[in-house]
Amino acid sequence: MTGKAHRMRDILRSLAMLAAFATPAFAAEVHPPTQVTAGASFSMPSSGTGQGTLYLIGPANLSKRQVTLGGDIPVEGDEVEHAGRYTAILCTDQCVASTFYVHANSADRLSLLVHPSRVPVSDPNAISAVAFVWDAYHNLVLSPVNVKFTVNPTEHASLSEGRTTSNGIAWIGLTSAAKSGPANLEASIGNLSEVRVVQQVASDACNLRIHGSSSARKIMVETDPVRDCSGNFVPDGTVVSFTLTDAAGKTTVDVPIKKGVAKVEIPAVGRARITAASGVVTGNELDMTGGGE
Amino acid sequence: MTTRQFFLLAAATLIFATSPLFIVAVDDSLPQVTLNAENLGPRSIEELTSKVIVRDYAFAWQTMAQALEQNRTDLLDGYFTGTAKQNLTQLVADEKKTDVRVRYLDHGHKLEGLFYSPAGDAMQLRDRARLEIEVMDGQKVIHSEEVSLQYMVLMTPGADRWLVRDLEVAPEAKP
Repeated sequence: MTGKAHRMRDILRSLAMLAAFATPAFAAEVHPPTQVTAGASFSMPSSGTGQGTLYLIGPANLSKRQVTLGGDIPVEGDEVEHAGRYTAILCTDQCVASTFYVHANSADRLSLLVHPSRVPVSDPNAISAVAFVWDAYHNLVLSPVNVKFTVNPTEHASLSEGRTTSNGIAWIGLTSAAKSGPANLEASIGNLSEVRVVQQVASDACNLRIHGSSSARKIMVETDPVRDCSGNFVPDGTVVSFTLTDAAGKTTVDVPIKKGVAKVEIPAVGRARITAASGVVTGNELDMTGGGE
Repeated sequence: MTTRQFFLLAAATLIFATSPLFIVAVDDSLPQVTLNAENLGPRSIEELTSKVIVRDYAFAWQTMAQALEQNRTDLLDGYFTGTAKQNLTQLVADEKKTDVRVRYLDHGHKLEGLFYSPAGDAMQLRDRARLEIEVMDGQKVIHSEEVSLQYMVLMTPGADRWLVRDLEVAPEAKP
């Protein structure tokens, strides 16, 4: 081969290499749907030929596998159970990425937060109930859903009110009933429901009344049954303070209510004045004489 | 100061300045987080709570990025709970299994308060985050992108901090 022919061959080889590098490479790609429902299987069409590596990266999982290019690449439902943004990266000699969103499936469970668990009667907006709506895969259902809140008091007809979720959350504020006792608070969507029990207890004592008797060197004082302003018995354990003022000075005794009443025996000689109080409520005054006088 | 004291002080300074703890404290700056609580309700947010939310959300992102970078689930214990923690724990487990890692370079978060429960036991926020995301297979970067993402965040109070309970990327609503 002559030198001229060698030179020509080198030029052609260089041109071939240049052409190989200059030609735009058509990298293999996957084309996922823009939106997918959580837990639903689907397939992604792919371009190219031969084998490639597919990486699928989601909010809670990351997978890597070999795939055959040029056809549909199946994605199983359990690979896309979590709502959020997914990146599908297909690598051959180079890598190309596509993204898609998985949105929550239909409502499948409710979380219900109810506060407080004990509440005084007739307290405006004292009870709050917050419902979170989730799908079967623990994704918050961001699309609007109607939640029905129902209160079932023990001795009255139930009351219901609907609320539409905003970003997966619905809430309601409620006034406690006038009558003490447990109330079931339920949040429901179709057949789904969650129930919490709120114990409605008597409010502060109202119209505290005391009466008494005396014997040798002591005075016995007792309240009438202690009720709140709605007529509910104030819970046992609520403290009533009795104060006795006589010639010896002032004596105060704190007594918890038992079986609806509070009673106390206080040593006293001569004339004495007795008062009672529970919380901010004061009762009537009694003037009595102790020590058998 | 005696010569012995001088050398001890110099040695202590040198050890402190070159210790990994010191370097971590300098390099690992928290991501920038701002909170707009104008539309937050029905409960109004206390000033201290708004500061704590911002602080703890920043720590959550910092620890999440570190957990994914270093394949360490223990880092998630501090600021994640519930579904968010389960999801990230699973992601780290998958990283270990595949030797593929996701790296976040955080360019900041704009939080918008959406819901604060009347009892103060849950807060929902929208986060507009600017991130650089890198995916690495072994030591090779196979994908890199700069993105603005919208996260829906649910936080609940813990003993001394707020924890991220749910973290979902949601597509931006079209106007």
